[in-house]
Amino acid sequence: MVYVQTLVNGIVLGALYACLAVGFSLVWGVLNVINMLHGSVIIFGGYLTFFAWHSYGIHPLFALPVVAAFMFLIGYVTQLLMINRVIDQPVLTTLTLTFGLDLILYNFMTVYYTATPRRVTLDLGALDLFGIAVPVDRVFGMVLALALTGLLYLVLRRSRIGRAIVAVRMDSAAAALMGIKVDRIYAITFGIGALMAGATGAIFAMVYPVTTNLSGTYLGKAFVVCVIGGLGSVPGALAGGIVLGIVESFAGQFFGPQHALTVGFLLMLILLVVKPTGLTGIKGYE
Amino acid sequence: MAEPLLSIENLSAGYGDIRVLWDISLAVQAGEITCIVGSNGAGKSTLLRTISGLVPANSGRIMFDGANIANMPPDRILATGIVHVPEGRRLFRGLSVRDNLLLGAYLRKDDTAVKRDLDYVFTLFPILQERWKQDATTLSGGEQQMCAIGRGIMSKPKLLMIDELSLGLAPRLVERLGEALLEINRTTGITILLVEQDVITAFEIARHGLIIETGRVSKTGTTEALSGDPAIRQAYLGV
Repeated sequence: MVYVQTLVNGIVLGALYACLAVGFSLVWGVLNVINMLHGSVIIFGGYLTFFAWHSYGIHPLFALPVVAAFMFLIGYVTQLLMINRVIDQPVLTTLTLTFGLDLILYNFMTVYYTATPRRVTLDLGALDLFGIAVPVDRVFGMVLALALTGLLYLVLRRSRIGRAIVAVRMDSAAAALMGIKVDRIYAITFGIGALMAGATGAIFAMVYPVTTNLSGTYLGKAFVVCVIGGLGSVPGALAGGIVLGIVESFAGQFFGPQHALTVGFLLMLILLVVKPTGLTGIKGYE
Repeated sequence: MAEPLLSIENLSAGYGDIRVLWDISLAVQAGEITCIVGSNGAGKSTLLRTISGLVPANSGRIMFDGANIANMPPDRILATGIVHVPEGRRLFRGLSVRDNLLLGAYLRKDDTAVKRDLDYVFTLFPILQERWKQDATTLSGGEQQMCAIGRGIMSKPKLLMIDELSLGLAPRLVERLGEALLEINRTTGITILLVEQDVITAFEIARHGLIIETGRVSKTGTTEALSGDPAIRQAYLGV
């Protein structure tokens, strides 16, 4: 029974990881940019959600769409005005740029908000399903995370803009011949990445402490999920997230929570050697 | 003689410091099929890439339908009615045949006409309808070329430019594609500019021909006259 509890914990955690990583994965896949900002944008979204709740009593569920839309705008403008200028440079150049932007955002938040952990406490209690206890706020977070990830999948698969994003990812010169403004699609894609990060931040504010100290950890998680699941695809991020969640959950059970992170990274290293395309093996898109 | 649909005046272009096109001048008449032939590296593909805005023009004018389109961004050039079917088809992997075709209509807002054009492409190439759900890059070479041409038609062009129609395809398929081009030209009135290494094929399909050598237009004329020219017969037709 204790294993079932661990498994359930892992799946809940995994859904949150998928949502955390999917924007990072999309940006990496489409733009070939390793977005070092991702972790800090999650934290930023978390702070905005926390203060909306703490200062104005706005429920995170209502803060989420506003925070997400705001992050989209920030991401869109950042890509259009800054990253697009160096988008054709080697990946190390864009990595350095986003790393620099991350330092600015990270230190701004540390100074402005201080690193004291804060959390939205909704006190929803826990569900008891046949002896398995699941905190309601986590289930709520999981449902939101899955819904957002699913929505992104649908947008990429079914919409005109989604087709354009996939086309740019596959062949940007041929996409330009279709009349697609490639730099705009880059900006929209980076905006979606930031939107997903902001939304993740809003969800995480309900289940984890919000502190800048965690920004590096989240970035690391996004990285591991991408490598495990396969880069640049929604199903890949979902598979990678769930697998990492379950593995970390069981690793915490057997070796103690302090080793959960190590086991996650170990899994990533093994996959890099054995199956570099990730579990889903999709080199494609979405 | 009527005003040509496309006329290029003293165009030069290239990549960085490397100049590929030297002082190109040519005209394409509306409603006709014109071909550009020349050996490897003569600058045929660069010419098309310059017309469609992928490569910047260093000097000269590209007059299309009364306006100079040189150095406009690709999406605006497409909106004026020039479609470029690139060498090697360049279909989008991971997207279905139908999605690839619809990407051709990316800029269009007239949904009912888009639907009608999609039906037209499917009547023209029934195999595409049969395989509409399939990943376009898993089609055979000939089917991929059909899909690429179809994608071009979906943009509703006035001028359809096709780079290397026959590349890597069996002669029977090339013949089939050539017939399709003639039918497109006849039924829709779309002007076609065909770039080909295979001179015999090109001359069979097109009525007018241009020969490009080392970035310059060396000869122009009807394909009938060109295939009668002894120098061309020796250099390109191997007789």
